[in-house]
Amino acid sequence: MRKKTLLAAALLSASALTLTACGGSAESDKPVASVSSDVATEKAATVLDQPFKKPDLVLTDTQGKKFDLRERTAGKPTLIYFGYTNCPDVCPLTMSNIAIAKKALPKADQEKLQVVFVSTDPEHDTPEVLGSWLKGQDPDFIGLTGDFATIQGGARTIGISIDEPTKDKNGKRVSMHGKQVIAFSPKDDAGYVMYGDDATADDYQKDLPKLLTGAKP
Amino acid sequence: MRRRLLGAALALVAAASLAGCSDGGAEASGAPELSVDGAFMPQPVNADMAAGFFKVTNKGSAADQLTSVTSPSAARVTLHSTKDGTMREQDAFEVPADGTLDFSRGGNHLMFEELTGRPAVGDTVEVTLHFSESGEIEVSLPVKEATYNPAKASGPGHGTAHPAQGRTAQEHHGTVRS
Repeated sequence: MRKKTLLAAALLSASALTLTACGGSAESDKPVASVSSDVATEKAATVLDQPFKKPDLVLTDTQGKKFDLRERTAGKPTLIYFGYTNCPDVCPLTMSNIAIAKKALPKADQEKLQVVFVSTDPEHDTPEVLGSWLKGQDPDFIGLTGDFATIQGGARTIGISIDEPTKDKNGKRVSMHGKQVIAFSPKDDAGYVMYGDDATADDYQKDLPKLLTGAKP
Repeated sequence: MRRRLLGAALALVAAASLAGCSDGGAEASGAPELSVDGAFMPQPVNADMAAGFFKVTNKGSAADQLTSVTSPSAARVTLHSTKDGTMREQDAFEVPADGTLDFSRGGNHLMFEELTGRPAVGDTVEVTLHFSESGEIEVSLPVKEATYNPAKASGPGHGTAHPAQGRTAQEHHGTVRS
């Protein structure tokens, strides 16, 4: 497996080099590293060797009430994603994929699963905005917003890097969502599985029964 | 597994050769020859915001540029790239000579803002793509389910589906070139 992955990566890098070498007019500031994206992996889930502790985040929920993430989701299977509602593609896609997979679970299991969407654009995503947006995905999803620095700090503890939305020098908008969904085990509350944004509803549907018990997918 | 890896790698090498050093000199003589296919809009959460996707193929020997997009269904349509979790609004996207410009899930996308209503599966949203050389091209975007992604074959074992290989290569090609 490892050898194959390396071989693939080498070939990919070679092609990328060819492309950039010839493309005189191509923009040079774009990194070519993304070429190596998950071609070599079949499974959507990455089981982490060193699980993350659940972020110690106390934020505001869609009702405008204080929400202590660790306290409220203790002992429950939990999926956490950092995104924003002014995001037309990946954020709603990720939430919809999880919503579809969740609906396929038996009712009792659906109630156990905690899906938490933390805003990376809290200035825009008020509790009302977040609540109305999440209702379109699954009314039971938990939406959290609050101070950006607090959210950024919490995201960093589980390896997720986000910056506040901004405008570049030409006035064009730049905004970020987390690249991963992290699954936390009901057994020890540790974040032990990671999904990239290419995970499908089928991937989640296949893995959720295991994530519900804290088993490895 | 092995076949898939090899396939993907070979496809990329092929893409690299195709895209190879053909740009220089060609631009002066020929003209772009554009066609658009694979257009769709995933059903959005609400009428505030939606995404749009399609592929532009250029069979001509000169490059073109997609400079703007308009739609009677939205107050604003802007062009965006997504890379490593960062969404960036762009002025324009190049359509290389003998190449493609891909708008696909998780990558380049159109962003519709303040839509006249919430598009639902089965609806069609009309857009006009404005190119610097080829002028305007009208495209109809059928509204698909929120999770629709033609790059991912549905059902278990999607990772080994053959169409997905070609798609992957195209996406990477588009990513590097744009």
